[in-house]
Amino acid sequence: MSGKRVLVIDDEETIQTVIQFGIKLTIGWQVLIASSGAEGIQTAQAEKPDVILLDVMLPDMDGIHILKALQAHAETKDIPVIFLTAQAQTADTPQLSDLGVKGMIPKPFNSLHLPEQISRILRW
Amino acid sequence: MQADRRHQQFELFSEVTLKIHQSLHLADILQTTVTEVQRVLQADRVLMYHLLPNGTGKTMSEVVLPGHPVLMDLEFPEEVFPQAYHHLYAQGRVRAIANVRDPAYGLADCLVEFVQQFGVKAKLIVPILQPLNGHSLEEAMANRRLWGLLIAHHCRSERQWLPWELEFMQQLATPITLALAQAQHLEHLEATVEARTRQLQEVNRNLQQEIAVCRQTEEALRQREAQLRLITDALPVLIAYVDSQQRYRFNNKAYQDWLGQSPELTYGQHLQKIWGRECYRRMQPRVEAALAGQVITYEDKIRLQSGLRLVEFSYIPHWNTDQTVQGFFELAKDITDCKASERIKDELISFISHELRTPLTALHSALKILATGCMGHLSTDGQKLLAIADQSTDRLLRLVNNVLDLQRIESGAFTMNPRICHAASLIQQAVEVMQPMAQHHGVTLVSQAEEIALWADADGILQTLTNLLSNAIKFSPPGGIVWLTATLLPPSEPLRHQPAHSPTLSSTATTGSVVVFRIRDSGPGIPPDQRERIFERFHQVDASRARKQGGSGLGLAICRKIVEQHNGKIWVESAPDGGSIFTFTVPTLVNIDLNQEKA
Repeated sequence: MSGKRVLVIDDEETIQTVIQFGIKLTIGWQVLIASSGAEGIQTAQAEKPDVILLDVMLPDMDGIHILKALQAHAETKDIPVIFLTAQAQTADTPQLSDLGVKGMIPKPFNSLHLPEQISRILRW
Repeated sequence: MQADRRHQQFELFSEVTLKIHQSLHLADILQTTVTEVQRVLQADRVLMYHLLPNGTGKTMSEVVLPGHPVLMDLEFPEEVFPQAYHHLYAQGRVRAIANVRDPAYGLADCLVEFVQQFGVKAKLIVPILQPLNGHSLEEAMANRRLWGLLIAHHCRSERQWLPWELEFMQQLATPITLALAQAQHLEHLEATVEARTRQLQEVNRNLQQEIAVCRQTEEALRQREAQLRLITDALPVLIAYVDSQQRYRFNNKAYQDWLGQSPELTYGQHLQKIWGRECYRRMQPRVEAALAGQVITYEDKIRLQSGLRLVEFSYIPHWNTDQTVQGFFELAKDITDCKASERIKDELISFISHELRTPLTALHSALKILATGCMGHLSTDGQKLLAIADQSTDRLLRLVNNVLDLQRIESGAFTMNPRICHAASLIQQAVEVMQPMAQHHGVTLVSQAEEIALWADADGILQTLTNLLSNAIKFSPPGGIVWLTATLLPPSEPLRHQPAHSPTLSSTATTGSVVVFRIRDSGPGIPPDQRERIFERFHQVDASRARKQGGSGLGLAICRKIVEQHNGKIWVESAPDGGSIFTFTVPTLVNIDLNQEKA
């Protein structure tokens, strides 16, 4: 479980910060930050993280487009993606698995519980 | 000389008869007769004496020369004209008495005395016969009785009456008899006419009354109709009555505003003619269902004068006393604006709630991180303040989640994901979720569940259970107990304590078995008048206490929505020890129509 690298693609600085603190304090994984879709795709290709936490709503493009862009590249197509969403609940997004998304963590979440939630979803 | 007098007599008689015949009134005829007789005979007095049925008599008309007493208005006793004479006169006897005192005439002494007091010295008497009642004049003339006497008196001296004088008097009697018959006939006619007139007047009066009643009824009806029109015309909805042939029998003014056709033109028209073929195609099955006795409500987009509008139609069948449907009442409401504002409200709530989630996540996480103490230790007061911030954030989160849940359920965005689940497993999960909270409040959770399979949205049922448990824990005192049970209720068994005012279970739920979930607390209970209202949004029994407990006032409303989506029912009653028992039902697996649930 140790030594994982997590890429967070979220434009909210507050969210970036609490995720960084939450993960660092509980498990000590490395957290990479991207504030836009374009930056996220670039970072993912360059750094090849173990998991990407992707905010569904970003100013430049929505989560689905970013996901498709990631899946379109050989370097990034196998990196598991978990959606962070303010849209509620599974019932609204029943075809997550069809999209190739590994899971969804709804807002609001407690960043201290994130490593546990990620591990459960990815069976780490 | 003799021939001359005869001629003169004839002329006189003709003249008098003519005068008599100039009037139809008996009184005039009698008066003319006595006047003419007096003039011709130069008698001192001529009178018409009428015999009354009781034997007495009176003078009907009289002409008397000055200086002689008047007999008119005198009543004569029976003795004056004894009954014995009646018969004789009726046979036509006439008397010409030259001297009343002459015993040769055989007048009774008393009678002589009687006439002498009026100065009568000689008299001439002829009978007047009255025809008896008959239908025709001829019949009446053939059948006569004594009506009275025409009498001439001579007072200045005795008088030898000449034969022509007697003859003249006799001849005059005939027209009088005829006049009497005419009078009688006339009287009879008049009486008949009067009776007929009375009958006609009566009929007329009755008719008038009937007409008046009809007019009043008509007026009342007109007023009622006008009032009804006034009311229905003032309403901004379509109100109509449609008969079994699908033709309009009543329309209010809104039809004109909506469709541009006056109610008069719409009356009697078929629905298809008014709404057009395309619209009627969608309308037809609903109309047929309404005429088959169903209450129908549906929405349809319709092109009206004002453009394309969303209209809600309601059809309410009109039942005859013999249980057949005679027609239906149509009510149509433009809900375009209503829907639009509803959608704006939903979007606004959704937007606000979603926008709140991101900062709340940061706040929530930041506080939790601070609370770990990894960022450095706070003073006791600092920790207290941090705890307040943390709890308030939790509460804010719950509120946002509840608002979103309710809004999603109400707007229909929430789709149930029904699947087979088990009552015991749901109870166990709910207890696991709520155990930390129960411990925190010092409340013991006791659960018992039968192994029952049900077809339900597991998340929904779990949310209902945890909401109810959360309330039960919050309102129970430290050291209190909260019981949670799930039991199977066979179809035949009625629910204990189900309140009378609760809506009836839907047909699916009443015909089969249901699972009954019960959550009982040891709290203060809920006043009877609040037991229905607590399921309404934002309703709290004790608002200040609820706020202290962190309640949103939405939990029970959400529970009710979820249970109702399962065709179940939820209610609250009092526990014997004063706590509350919340009960809800969910139909068991076998009783669910799968198609209906997936719809």
